[in-house]
Amino acid sequence: MKAIERIWTIGLNTVREAIRNKLLYTLLFFAIVMIGTGVIVGSISYVEGSRILQDVGLASIRLFSTGIAIFVGVGLIHGEVYRRTIYTILSKPVSRAEFLIGKFVGLVMTIWLQLLIMSAAFVVVSLLSGAPVDLGHASALGLIGVELAIVVAVATLFSAFTTPMLASFFTLGIYMMGHLSRDLLQIGANSESASLERITRVIYEVLPDLEMYNLSIQAVHQLPIAASEVWLPVLYGLGYVAAILFAASHIFERRDFK
Amino acid sequence: MSSESEIVQVRDVVKDFRPGFGIRKKRVLHGISFDVMQGEIFGFVGPNGAGKTTTLKLLMGLIRATSGTAKILGHDIGETAFRREVGFLPENAYFYDYLTGREVLDFYARLSGVPSRERANRVETLLDWVGLSYAGDSRIRTYSKGMAQRVGIAQALVHDPSVVFLDEPMSGLDPIGRKEIRDLIIRLRTEGKTVFMNTHILSDVEMVCDRVAIIVEGKIRYQGHTHDFLDDGEHDCEIVVSGVEPELATQLEERHGAELRGQGERVEMRVAEKKVGAVLDAVLKARGRVLAVTPQRVSLESIFLDAVREEEGAQ
Repeated sequence: MKAIERIWTIGLNTVREAIRNKLLYTLLFFAIVMIGTGVIVGSISYVEGSRILQDVGLASIRLFSTGIAIFVGVGLIHGEVYRRTIYTILSKPVSRAEFLIGKFVGLVMTIWLQLLIMSAAFVVVSLLSGAPVDLGHASALGLIGVELAIVVAVATLFSAFTTPMLASFFTLGIYMMGHLSRDLLQIGANSESASLERITRVIYEVLPDLEMYNLSIQAVHQLPIAASEVWLPVLYGLGYVAAILFAASHIFERRDFK
Repeated sequence: MSSESEIVQVRDVVKDFRPGFGIRKKRVLHGISFDVMQGEIFGFVGPNGAGKTTTLKLLMGLIRATSGTAKILGHDIGETAFRREVGFLPENAYFYDYLTGREVLDFYARLSGVPSRERANRVETLLDWVGLSYAGDSRIRTYSKGMAQRVGIAQALVHDPSVVFLDEPMSGLDPIGRKEIRDLIIRLRTEGKTVFMNTHILSDVEMVCDRVAIIVEGKIRYQGHTHDFLDDGEHDCEIVVSGVEPELATQLEERHGAELRGQGERVEMRVAEKKVGAVLDAVLKARGRVLAVTPQRVSLESIFLDAVREEEGAQ
């Protein structure tokens, strides 16, 4: 059996675990309710009701998807160690890196499945309200999917060596900093301190630039989106995920399961 | 492999843990060495906290040795490919409780590389072996502890490994379940598999194991064949009788060297093995009743207790 098949087996099992977890259905339900509330907010607004509806919808999708990604991701490895299910899996011909990547793949597939359901709800609500849906919306939703993969990778990294509580703080911190890193870079560039500029540059290079995954404004206001605004973030995301998973595997490889 | 018959080789293995965030290390294994030979059932025995599970985790690659070497089937335990030939049941095994018993076994069979054409058959065979065919489609969360333990044993065997590691395999089982698992372990030996069994239930070791190692405080204190202590020369016998009159008691003490305790309806005596026949004859002739005859051989328990006391004395 090849490594890819073992990773796939662990990934599918992770999806099955998530699908049978009722808590995730609850979160998904609330997300769809939030998307639906856009209709109410849009209807009571005097101007651009359809845009407000889509703003609220995309923001809800981003908020709930990220919440689910962090909530599930931080316990991804810890749960396996705590419940000792990892003991039997690693006693099989499965390397630690395969296990970790398999868990990551499974959670990303789960999150994407939920994103798909939320996106379907978003499209239905938009069309019912007479709001246009086009390729710009698809690009915005697709990039949310890539951003979620980065968030899951970061959560997996922290889950590989620390408790879910700490991992959730760290992941949330990285997520927020990831959306502010461009501003930080700007602050450094505007300052007269060379060292501050260097520090903000290092922070920008190390942390993921998550603001590039936010095409909501362009999509909602139907502004033109260049192809490079989509494929560059996708490439960057793939590279960032690969680097994070490499680091996570390296840390996980050295860990003792007492 | 240095010898074809050595399935597990452990040499001078030391394991230190650092409790919490402390700087000081705690030594859990103090340079242990032992071998497990092909086709034998090897009992790894010790009190709680002796280092049994740590040793097993080390062999399964779940923790890394501080120093020393350990090999299974001639492979360094850090490798993964050879684990196709290894089965493992952890202590108090836990499985994904949202899966059914059948799905759990299928999952582990896939991970172990069991070809798809054989997988379904293999899963059914194992469910049958451990007596869970009737519950194969029930979710694990509905299983009793004993049923979960049986699933654990089934997943350890689902890929037909040549060496099986069991950590407290009888844990959580009722007497009938224990008997079934004992029979299963003996069956594995009949099929030519090697079994490494961690346990603190000495009677199980005496019944199924070919060789035993006793670990106390992270040090191997005894290694030997089970028959070494089960057939260890001539022993005394404990005889319990009733209806012993004072004259007979005197006769038993003076003629046969019996040491008597009690009188009347229940008298216990200890006599040399060769005198048992004569003592029983004398009791029956005097119309007494024989209630029990128990050979007093050296037991694993006494070896175990000696090992523990020796370690306590050394500290």
